[in-house]
Amino acid sequence: MGMPISHIMTSGMSGIRAAGDLVARMQLSKNMRIADAKDYVAKKLGVSTPDLSDEYVMRELREELGIGVITSVAGAPKGIAAKMNIEKLLDIKINCCEKFRDQVE
Amino acid sequence: MTTEYALRMGDGKRVFLTKEQIMADLEEGSADAADLGGIPALSGDEIDKLAEILMTPSRMVGVEPGKEVPVTHDIGTIRIDGDQGNSGVGIPSSRLIGSMMHERAFGADTMELGHIDYSFKPVKPVIAQEMQTMEVCQQNMIVPLLYGAMPNMGLYYTPDGPFENPGDLMKAFKIKEAQESMEHAADHLTRDTVWIMQRLMASGADGVNFDTIGAAGDGDMFASLHAIEALRKQFPDIYIEAGMAGELLLGLHGEMEYDGTVLAGLWPHQQAPLAAKAGANVFGPVVNTNTSKTSPWNLGRAVTFVKAAVKDSPIPCHVNMGMGVGGIPMFETPTIDAVSRASKAMVEIAGVDGI
Amino acid sequence: MNEVGILFERGKLFLPHVMMAAGAMEAGVALLEADLPKDAASKKLGVIVNGTVEGDVHDIGKSIVSTMLQSSGFEVHDIGRDVPLQDFIDKIKETNANMVGMSALMTTTLPGQKEVIEMLKEQGMRDGIKVMVGGAPATQAWAEKIGADCYAENASEAVSKAKELLL
Repeated sequence: MGMPISHIMTSGMSGIRAAGDLVARMQLSKNMRIADAKDYVAKKLGVSTPDLSDEYVMRELREELGIGVITSVAGAPKGIAAKMNIEKLLDIKINCCEKFRDQVE
Repeated sequence: MTTEYALRMGDGKRVFLTKEQIMADLEEGSADAADLGGIPALSGDEIDKLAEILMTPSRMVGVEPGKEVPVTHDIGTIRIDGDQGNSGVGIPSSRLIGSMMHERAFGADTMELGHIDYSFKPVKPVIAQEMQTMEVCQQNMIVPLLYGAMPNMGLYYTPDGPFENPGDLMKAFKIKEAQESMEHAADHLTRDTVWIMQRLMASGADGVNFDTIGAAGDGDMFASLHAIEALRKQFPDIYIEAGMAGELLLGLHGEMEYDGTVLAGLWPHQQAPLAAKAGANVFGPVVNTNTSKTSPWNLGRAVTFVKAAVKDSPIPCHVNMGMGVGGIPMFETPTIDAVSRASKAMVEIAGVDGI
Repeated sequence: MNEVGILFERGKLFLPHVMMAAGAMEAGVALLEADLPKDAASKKLGVIVNGTVEGDVHDIGKSIVSTMLQSSGFEVHDIGRDVPLQDFIDKIKETNANMVGMSALMTTTLPGQKEVIEMLKEQGMRDGIKVMVGGAPATQAWAEKIGADCYAENASEAVSKAKELLL
């Protein structure tokens, strides 16, 4: 476990502690290189690109947007609910959300 | 007295080197990559920057604020529940717990689900379990969650699979028969991988991570590229990561082509465009660590290869930086000082899009 | 064949080419045999038993090493993968081998290399044979720890180290 944690501490974007998952989604869904992915997400969130790795900025913003936080408050979206909000925010489709919609429609 | 810096050998052992020795090893490692790959060696400024990272007088280093990159994960949750030589720390836990620990406790930017054997072929008999676990994980998690496994084409050869072992055929000078055996195995590997991912996509997977493509040579990559192509056609929005097994794609068949390019003998900067052409979203270059060389030599070499791949790749590059690759020592518990330095070097000098 | 080995390591030639070159060399030597001193042409550089230790099904890397050793002039007995440890001892006796090569690709199976060395000692065979170890988790430090004669990083290094130890 020491190795992945060392990478995350040295170079990572901290996942849902900040906005790492969102940047990764733009790389994986639209083949965006790192600078483009960060620009895209930063514009959608209305923050600067360095803010995307800033837990202080992202903690409150993620809660406001309902896109999932660590140490969440009662009733805050998690799992597929949070991902459905991410879909809208980033203007992308997420497979499990599509499957969920298929099941409830 | 000349100052010596405490660094590592490729097997993780402590070694003390002067600045001159560090610079010499960095240059030699970079020159080796440049010579093999026909790519540019690192510039003097880049070598200086690498040396500076290696000589930083602190246990850990970190990238400059604003330069962070997504860190993705392979081997699923084996690193948590695996033990007794299985690359993990032996904490009994479900894969849902392991995946959520990565997301919520460690700050992982993406995660993957994998099974304990971690090759595609053995997923077939346990596909229902994999589908169920993927569905439950997707219901609970937020970060992208891929399904990960190794193509591992060796499992299709006798005595593990239906096709005659090409290694034995080659040693008996039956070259044509060996090549035919690889072609049959590749067709089956492609078919199995697509079949498995069709089911996991039906269970809500975000996509697939091909881990260690090319471990069984050029046929292994041939099969993987065709699987990627078929999956992209069937699932236009699937996330696909194509991670390699080594810097040189070994030519065991020697004549297999993809998109008019002979696969055998390709280096990372030549592999990346093919992965993109097949339909991958992210390419994972790999450079193996030489355990008999120092960390400056290995890092100079790895950064040189990866920098060229990042430059020539049309898609994001997430460099593989696990045990024994990417300038990281070949040791089960790689030292934090070495991991941290290699990580920073790949981001700030090779310019990777992720790790 | 030395040049072929180097070109294989550099990704310029591939396994079928190595085998074709080895075949051509054998045919060439056969043609010249009549003009060479007796036994010189067919004399092998050494006899090597090579295999992947018990519990480990990895075959490809070990097979490449066997092929490269064979094409460099060694008599190679590749005993396969997942080989019971006693089989290494038996094959060494049967072939009167000068060297044994043991591959392991997993940390779980690596101790098998050490056990074979212990078995060689127990049977009084250790002094008469060189031991080479390899595989992803093996290192020079591991080779030294278990008392192997050498560690090889890759196939071409296996050939050069075998030559160093046996010639």
